[in-house]
Amino acid sequence: MAETSVRVVIVDDHSIFRSGLKADLDASIEVVGEAHDVESAVLAVTDAAPDVVLLDVHLPGVGVAAGTSGGAEVMRRAAASVPGTRFLALSVSDKAEDVVGVIRAGARGYITKGSSGADVSRAVHAVASGDAVFSPKLAGFVLDAFGAAVGETAAASDELDRLSAREQEVMRLIARGYAYKEVAAELFISTKTVESHVSAVLRKLQLSSRHELTAWANARRLL
Amino acid sequence: MADMEPRMSRPRACVATGVAAGLAAHLGWPVFVVRAAFVVTSLAAGAGLLLYLWLWALTPWEPGEARPSRRAPVAWLLVSASALVLAAAWLGGGGLAVGVDDGSALRWWLGAVFAGIGLAVASGAWATFIDRPEPERGPRHELTIRLVATVLLVITALALVFGESAHWHPVPTFAAALAAVLGIGLVYAPTLVTAWRELTDERTKRIREEQRSEIAAHLHDSVLQTLALIQNRAGASSEVARIARAQERELRDWLFDGEAPADSDLGTDLRDFAAALEIDYPVTIDVVAVGSSSERASGEVAAAAREAMLNAARHAGGEVSVYVEASPEAVEVFVRDRGAGFDLSEVPSDRLGVRQSIIGRMRRAGGSGEVRVGAGGGTEVRLRFPAERAGLENTRG
Repeated sequence: MAETSVRVVIVDDHSIFRSGLKADLDASIEVVGEAHDVESAVLAVTDAAPDVVLLDVHLPGVGVAAGTSGGAEVMRRAAASVPGTRFLALSVSDKAEDVVGVIRAGARGYITKGSSGADVSRAVHAVASGDAVFSPKLAGFVLDAFGAAVGETAAASDELDRLSAREQEVMRLIARGYAYKEVAAELFISTKTVESHVSAVLRKLQLSSRHELTAWANARRLL
Repeated sequence: MADMEPRMSRPRACVATGVAAGLAAHLGWPVFVVRAAFVVTSLAAGAGLLLYLWLWALTPWEPGEARPSRRAPVAWLLVSASALVLAAAWLGGGGLAVGVDDGSALRWWLGAVFAGIGLAVASGAWATFIDRPEPERGPRHELTIRLVATVLLVITALALVFGESAHWHPVPTFAAALAAVLGIGLVYAPTLVTAWRELTDERTKRIREEQRSEIAAHLHDSVLQTLALIQNRAGASSEVARIARAQERELRDWLFDGEAPADSDLGTDLRDFAAALEIDYPVTIDVVAVGSSSERASGEVAAAAREAMLNAARHAGGEVSVYVEASPEAVEVFVRDRGAGFDLSEVPSDRLGVRQSIIGRMRRAGGSGEVRVGAGGGTEVRLRFPAERAGLENTRG
């Protein structure tokens, strides 16, 4: 996986951070563009049509309504013109509040800015190959928001507002700090299956109209 | 001290102010004698009244915790007296219209009007400052008194403006009418002042909140980013990264959390403990809490979890994950590290750390604990505490 080169655009309003990240990324990742606000990001992304956009959640820009994040705005404006591009959110904090908004706006995952270059590179590759990137914090938030702790379990596999028992197990292990490979070993399933469960949860997180999620998002004007 | 005369004090359960009862007890006289003395001396240019007021102002309540309670409806008496005096002034005011300008009739009339207005204002003040805190009277009583006093004062003002006296003695009558209107203002002044103060407090609070969020936004964009960058570049377990992480956490708590809850739950407590450990050991600890835990931070689970975290920080270091899940059935805590790992059966029995303080502690409390090797290496400590046990412990503690 690491052999195939991934083309990336880095969007962050801090040039120091951009150059730092660029220097830290694996050789297998080619940075094809940089941007520092919403407008330049939309231009850079539509122009370069990269595989992955590393997108800062808190991004300045004209026309970003109060309470919404600049990162979400970039996705809204650019996603339609570059259907093959996947977005990975970068946040200075790992608070679920900062992150669920961009996930619901279409990001395939998020990592904190404190992560090492190797971690970021891994996440970029995962997102490029279509997987979702979940941190323990986000997994915890998902378990909370979908009522897993109080024993709510989806009866049908296509139900959007609750997690299936297997998805809950996977999320619990991720919240406990297990990598996908370790989750797979623990549950005696393949890594691929773990990834598909995680993607399913990501889809639910993006599409669910579950009251907790929408009420929460509405309160912060993210939708 | 024992030789000193007992200080005069007013009884807490009194008729109006407790002055007469207190003085009677102090002098050893019957109460009715004291009362009569006050009334009689009041006739001598109000000397008794002045003495009464003076004693009222300077005598403390008798020691005790009870809230003073008054038997006499003083506010009602004051407002009734006001009504009587004003009515008398109105009836007597007819004589003024004749225009016999000898001055003394006017003085008496004016004195009565001002006394009536003063009594009405006094009834309002009494209801607000003295009756309102008493549970058996309270805000409803205050409102009633205020309304009656207001009606009295409005009628007085109107009667003065449209009455005969305005024609004969315009200046004193106008002054009296003005006093009546001002009296209405005085009756409501305490409420207006309180409302105004609340309004300014509210405004100050809002401004402060706005300023705080502005500062937060600014620091978020500058300092937090820089701290993140430092951690990123310095390597996760280096001294510099540790300090930067601790600073970031502190700053973030201050910026976004506002007031900390007084009673912390398990998740909050373990998060605080993780922050403390990160300063002392080369370790980064992620704490994820799910569900709302009724488990108190002081409980056995918290103690065992802290011990497990300390072990992980001390012996494994690197990245440690802590996961707390509170479901209706149980509270579970997982502490996982990426260290070399150890097998419990290989630990010599004289090393009591894990066995006693984690597993033994949980068992004694009615829960369970286990230590195992995680899927990708490293050690995972798992603590489980059934909810009904937690409930018991909470009611006990």
